[in-house]
Amino acid sequence: MSSSPVIDVEGVTKRFAGHTAVRSLSLSVPSGSIYGLLGPNGAGKSTTLRMIMGIILPDEGRIALFGGRGDGKVLSARIGYLPEERGLYKKMKVLEILMFLAEIRGVSRRVAKTKGTMWLEKLGLGDWVDKKVDDLSKGMQQKVQFIATVLHDPELVVLDEPFAGLDPVNSQVMKDTVVELARGGTTVLFSTHIMEHAEKLCDAVCIIARGKKVLDGGMAEVKREHGGQHLIVAIERGDASTDRILADPSIVSRSNSFGNYAELELVDDADPQTLLHALVQAGARVSRFEVAEPTLQQIFIDKVGAEAATAQASEVAHA
Amino acid sequence: MRKIWAVMRREFIEKVRTKWFIIGTVLGPVLMLGMVALPILMADRTTNRVVGVLDATTEGFGDRFVGMLQQTGSVKPERIAVDVPDLEDRAVELARRVGPGFDGFIILTDAVTDDGHAEYRGRNVSSFSDMQTISVVLRNAVFSERLRREGVDPQIVGRARISVDLDTKKVQKGEVTEESGEASFFLAYAMWLMLYIAILLYGIQVMGSVVEEKTSRVVEVLVSSLKPFELLAGKIVGVGAVGILQMGIWAGFGKLMIDKRELLANMLGQGEAGQALAGIPLPEISFTTIVVFLTYFILGYFLYASMFAAVAAMVNSEQEARQAQTPVVMLLVVPTVLMIGILNNPDGAMAVTLSLIPFTSPIAMPVRWAAAPVGTDQLAGSIAILGTTLVGITWLAGRIYRVGILMYGKKPGVRELVRWLKG
Repeated sequence: MSSSPVIDVEGVTKRFAGHTAVRSLSLSVPSGSIYGLLGPNGAGKSTTLRMIMGIILPDEGRIALFGGRGDGKVLSARIGYLPEERGLYKKMKVLEILMFLAEIRGVSRRVAKTKGTMWLEKLGLGDWVDKKVDDLSKGMQQKVQFIATVLHDPELVVLDEPFAGLDPVNSQVMKDTVVELARGGTTVLFSTHIMEHAEKLCDAVCIIARGKKVLDGGMAEVKREHGGQHLIVAIERGDASTDRILADPSIVSRSNSFGNYAELELVDDADPQTLLHALVQAGARVSRFEVAEPTLQQIFIDKVGAEAATAQASEVAHA
Repeated sequence: MRKIWAVMRREFIEKVRTKWFIIGTVLGPVLMLGMVALPILMADRTTNRVVGVLDATTEGFGDRFVGMLQQTGSVKPERIAVDVPDLEDRAVELARRVGPGFDGFIILTDAVTDDGHAEYRGRNVSSFSDMQTISVVLRNAVFSERLRREGVDPQIVGRARISVDLDTKKVQKGEVTEESGEASFFLAYAMWLMLYIAILLYGIQVMGSVVEEKTSRVVEVLVSSLKPFELLAGKIVGVGAVGILQMGIWAGFGKLMIDKRELLANMLGQGEAGQALAGIPLPEISFTTIVVFLTYFILGYFLYASMFAAVAAMVNSEQEARQAQTPVVMLLVVPTVLMIGILNNPDGAMAVTLSLIPFTSPIAMPVRWAAAPVGTDQLAGSIAILGTTLVGITWLAGRIYRVGILMYGKKPGVRELVRWLKG
């Protein structure tokens, strides 16, 4: 895994009539990584990906792919793109559409046929090779689109909301395939608003909201820097004095306390040991004291705000 | 180039596989065959027409008229002699007989030869050919009768009645061609029909294809690998190739039918009609004519197809497209509405103007070319103007297309469009 970025976005801004979709966004996707572009709906994820693909042009800023010039169209042989708005020719047969889409990315029809058949088998669509797209379920069509994205063995795969609309089984198949691609050296950039997907998959993430970058970096680094310190504390027989300690504003910035059990977030630079010491001194019997790693979900909510989080919760219910 | 080829190939194969293409290709020749066969089969029925001749004439005119009518072979006359006082009663009686097996009757009195008025009552009065036969025969009979009364020798009358035919031959580049006036007219008419239908049909196919890609959102994937221009060019050429294939099939079938028209007529049990058909003058289609036709088809089709594509890129659904296409279709209809004017006077100011204006020239010029000789300078000028406009229009359409295919929602207004053109 080399560290030179495959995608380098620098100070990119895109305005549409009336609003700014993306505001001076910079990010860089390291080669061979799985990179998540996260954010609530309307944050500018798709716009960013479309600019990376050269479908729309940024008003300001610069995007470099593979460290050089040329946009997604020119480099389409090296890139696979799965757009958010997915469509296929309804009347075409599955294998033929795959061959056509590979052909416009520079793969010969013969090679495309072999690989297409192989991929269809692999994703459980072996019986559907000669069926028309119209006869496929939505989930199957999505798989066909995914195959079209990776059929030409691209070095970079850009997936816009790849898990949207998939059932849990197919969602898992998709995750496994993405991991497999990355193991094979393919760089994967994908967008999602579902943090669980990102948490399990990504080596690095960038969270954006309302067109602006909130944070970015490697997963561990993000958790370390932005997660704050989370504590899970359980005590036997909590009382007023322990309550006071668990709510001490000089140490605890936020608490979710149930008397005997509490999830705490500490203020920056606070030492968890101070808290433990105070509890012991107050005579509390501590049965659990755990410095927890924050989830991406918590970081996301912390940074993007509760408003976005509620919007997101309803989204998840839909999906 | 390879990408354009891939788009073209897909477009061609998918279109050729559609029911629309198969039905259209088969239906075309069936319609052609029908257009030829139907009149022949219809002609068969007219020989059985029974027409009464209510004869109140006194000097044997009715007899002679019946004889002449018999000779035509297309009407079976039945003479009913009557005296003048009973005429109206008999006429009322005969009117009740009109129905299958008795199509109608003509009332003849001596007045016919005097003031030239006769009356026909029947159920076939709207049949153009029946009325034509009866009135021509009547006119000839009255003409001979009047001369006979003046004491002119019947032989002289016979010779005086030999009809005059005006044979027309088209002069092209100072040489008399074998092509008759009728044939030229026929050719011009066929050119118009083919061009109008082909440009409209395949232009709308392009529009449909763009709308399909847009509404199904396939276009998102396509433009991530193709320049909009590559997509548009491949599409237009692909559909155009379908058009040329289809017209080729039609033309081949048409030629086969014309060559074998005698055989065809015999198969329909119309040997005589077949011989008559064989004598019909047919236009000589020279190589130059084919080149002119194809040139204008290709240029005209490209022009209209890019306009249709631009329209399609602006809309979100087929329904919207059907409305938005109207201005483009109107442009194409103009030369059609003015067709008769062009044919009647192929060198007139209107015909010349229409054959130079780029939006009407793809149809107007080939029609003129077929109807009358056209100067090389005018032909070259027309092609030059059309070619230049084509470049301009494709550029404009390409810009609209490029932005439009990725825009969803409200249809753009004029100001929005101008922004697209600048962007």
